[in-house]
Amino acid sequence: MRRTRPAAAVLALALALTAACSSGTTGAADAGQPVSGGSLTWAIETEPITFNPHQYAQAKARLLVWNSFEALLTHDAQGGYVPWLATGYEVSPDGKTYTFKLRTDVTFSDGTKFDAAAVKANVDQFQVEGYNPQVLAVQLRNLASVEVADASTVVFKLTQPDVLLLDFLSSPQGAQVSPKSLKEARNLKAGGPELAGTGPFILDRYTAGQEVHFTRNPAYNWAPATAGHSGPAYLDEVTYRFLKESSVRVGALTSGQVQVIEGVPATDEALITANKQLTLGRGLNSGSAFSYYFNTAHAPFDDIRVRRAFREAVDVDAVLTGVYRGSATRAWSVIGPTSPFYDKTLEKTYGGDAAEANRLLDEAGWSARDAEGFRTKDGKRLTVRLVQSAPFIRDRRDVLAQAVQAQVKQSAGIDLTVTVADQGTAAKALADGAYEVFENSRADTDAGAALSLLLTSTGSINRTGFKDAGLDRLLQDGQASTDQAKRLAAYQQVQKLVITDQALILPLYAPADQIAFGNTVGGVGFEPTAGVPGSAYNVWLSK
Amino acid sequence: MTLALPRPVARRLILRPPRPGIAAAAVVLALTLTAVVWPSLFAGDPLAADPLHVLEGPSAQHWFGTDQLGRDVFDRVVHGARHSLSIGVAATVIAVGAGILLGLCAGLTHKYADEVISRGFDALAAFPLVLLALLFIAIAGTGTTSLIVAIGVATLPHYARVVRAQTLIVRQAPYVTHAVAFGASRGRLVLRHVLPNVLGPIPVLAMIGLGEAILVAAGLSFLGLGPQPPSPEWGAMLSESRGYLHIAWWASVLPGAAVTATVISLTVIGRHLQSRFEGRHQ
Repeated sequence: MRRTRPAAAVLALALALTAACSSGTTGAADAGQPVSGGSLTWAIETEPITFNPHQYAQAKARLLVWNSFEALLTHDAQGGYVPWLATGYEVSPDGKTYTFKLRTDVTFSDGTKFDAAAVKANVDQFQVEGYNPQVLAVQLRNLASVEVADASTVVFKLTQPDVLLLDFLSSPQGAQVSPKSLKEARNLKAGGPELAGTGPFILDRYTAGQEVHFTRNPAYNWAPATAGHSGPAYLDEVTYRFLKESSVRVGALTSGQVQVIEGVPATDEALITANKQLTLGRGLNSGSAFSYYFNTAHAPFDDIRVRRAFREAVDVDAVLTGVYRGSATRAWSVIGPTSPFYDKTLEKTYGGDAAEANRLLDEAGWSARDAEGFRTKDGKRLTVRLVQSAPFIRDRRDVLAQAVQAQVKQSAGIDLTVTVADQGTAAKALADGAYEVFENSRADTDAGAALSLLLTSTGSINRTGFKDAGLDRLLQDGQASTDQAKRLAAYQQVQKLVITDQALILPLYAPADQIAFGNTVGGVGFEPTAGVPGSAYNVWLSK
Repeated sequence: MTLALPRPVARRLILRPPRPGIAAAAVVLALTLTAVVWPSLFAGDPLAADPLHVLEGPSAQHWFGTDQLGRDVFDRVVHGARHSLSIGVAATVIAVGAGILLGLCAGLTHKYADEVISRGFDALAAFPLVLLALLFIAIAGTGTTSLIVAIGVATLPHYARVVRAQTLIVRQAPYVTHAVAFGASRGRLVLRHVLPNVLGPIPVLAMIGLGEAILVAAGLSFLGLGPQPPSPEWGAMLSESRGYLHIAWWASVLPGAAVTATVISLTVIGRHLQSRFEGRHQ
């Protein structure tokens, strides 16, 4: 992973695009030196299902979290940890005790002082039953206790070494919420204006279905060293409008109703790059690749031959070319290609062989065909169900699903049914096991967190139903060691097991974010390591 | 409304050659009907996707271009005729059938039952058609069947009111009172004497109503409440391709044109028939 600072990256990108697209002309004018003041409107694709950072689950909501909340640590461009609300930390030689020194000059926007007791209150909140079982089961699995040594020192005691603690403390789920809000908020899990944080902006207005509004926190003076500047944010206020339709977002940008958009679809990229008033930026996300997970708990995917056949039946390159116009990066493993744990040797080892798919299905007994051309066995059609949860659909994943649907039908006679459902219906289908294909990508900065959630026997989003003690042990090893080489070895074995040996997963593409902005906007960029759009802290408006 | 035309005028109307608009409408309808009955006469597989040829403009190979999955838009429009029209026809059949039944009941029963049924029509008619259909779908769930029933129920008062009004006139007609005097049974009275004489305006009304039903069906499936992808339904096609409108107009404009042409043709011919046949009775 080699990424320069966000502002520099965007500048470089802008220059590259200028050079590439508008030879000879001046191209996108830059917004000059940072200036303070102004009000920015930013159109985003996804309306968050919650504003409580502890409940964070949508990578597309990450840019909102860091406006009003902050964590103890953050990432630099090389994937390392740098202090944020903490000034530093020490690990005991046995790897079981982490001692954090905290900043003493930080206050929450409701006036509460940030100290060790606040950190303890935040982490202890996860012990409340049903609050966030996913995080409790993975990142905090080995946490024994949090102790307040003094006002500016907090000690995390673990039952066994676990490097994901640091990832947690730098993730949105580890963001610090005012202990007063934790106690008093009427609807804690939904979050919103009543949850106070320490961030450079204060969330003061949320209109469901329309927009969320932040105003500058004038007292803010504790930006991490990786941020482009210090002191309060440049912008007086920033409004994020929820515009689900990509064409509406692009239209809002080109007509000047908004100054920044995220989620630029591949088909519209040409419109942006052709417009000299606009700049396009792209960042590959960290974490797991967008993949289809096969449910091995029941037929037909309990048969590995059917899983392999499905994977061979899809020509992923052709599908991605069609849907994303060649702008998507194909994924070959459950981990995204930007992760240090990515196993490159998996590339081109499977997929796109329709003849093999048909041979495997014949062998597995799905040899008859019905009137519509679908394969059958004992009179039952080879139907597999994919339920898409509407709040998590991004990057035209619904169109992608239809493209895969057409492919598996044409090449192998597999009936993939695709349903787009609201979150409750989708969650129920998953809980009832009424699915054969589960789609997911996770933008965890440490891909290990995603793997533990998705693949361990007890993982809370283990939707494959695959349980294997050997796999659990490997995942445990990957999570325990602080030695990067040992983690890499463990995770490479994990990838080989789930991709090559068991064919549990069909990786599709590496999620990326595209943002576009007008030439009056400066400082828009991507968060280091995570690769998602950054918060509004560095952003300024030149007029 | 019910003025009888002098005989020569009526003959002139019937013998006059159709105007170009009506001829065009008839051609469109004939083509649409052929597409419904025998789509494979014109078009290939509407579900055959070709990811390497997506959003390509109209050409000799793909008359209407290709959509976002590389499917032939012409094939989909032709096959979509069956989806869209069958929903419209089924909904209209439900509306006409139930409308006749309820209209007869209201017109023939005594005063209080008539009041109850008629106020029921008023209540249904008080809601906009789309809203009523949406309400029904919210209760019954999405899918083609509930879409058909929803539109059927929502358009029912349209026919029921006409049948009721006709029934009230016919029940006072001398031939009915005479039949009663001759001791005809209630069933025979309704089936033999009342029903045939109240149905006059219904076919023309249904033809115009069919256009509306098709339009509402396409609208509701545009909202994702009708046949689910990858079904080539016109409204669903519009909905799926609208995100590409500025780079591939053909994928949404041409299915939209199919809906428009069909609905306009139905209405033009319906109105034409209405003007020809209205008042022929009595």
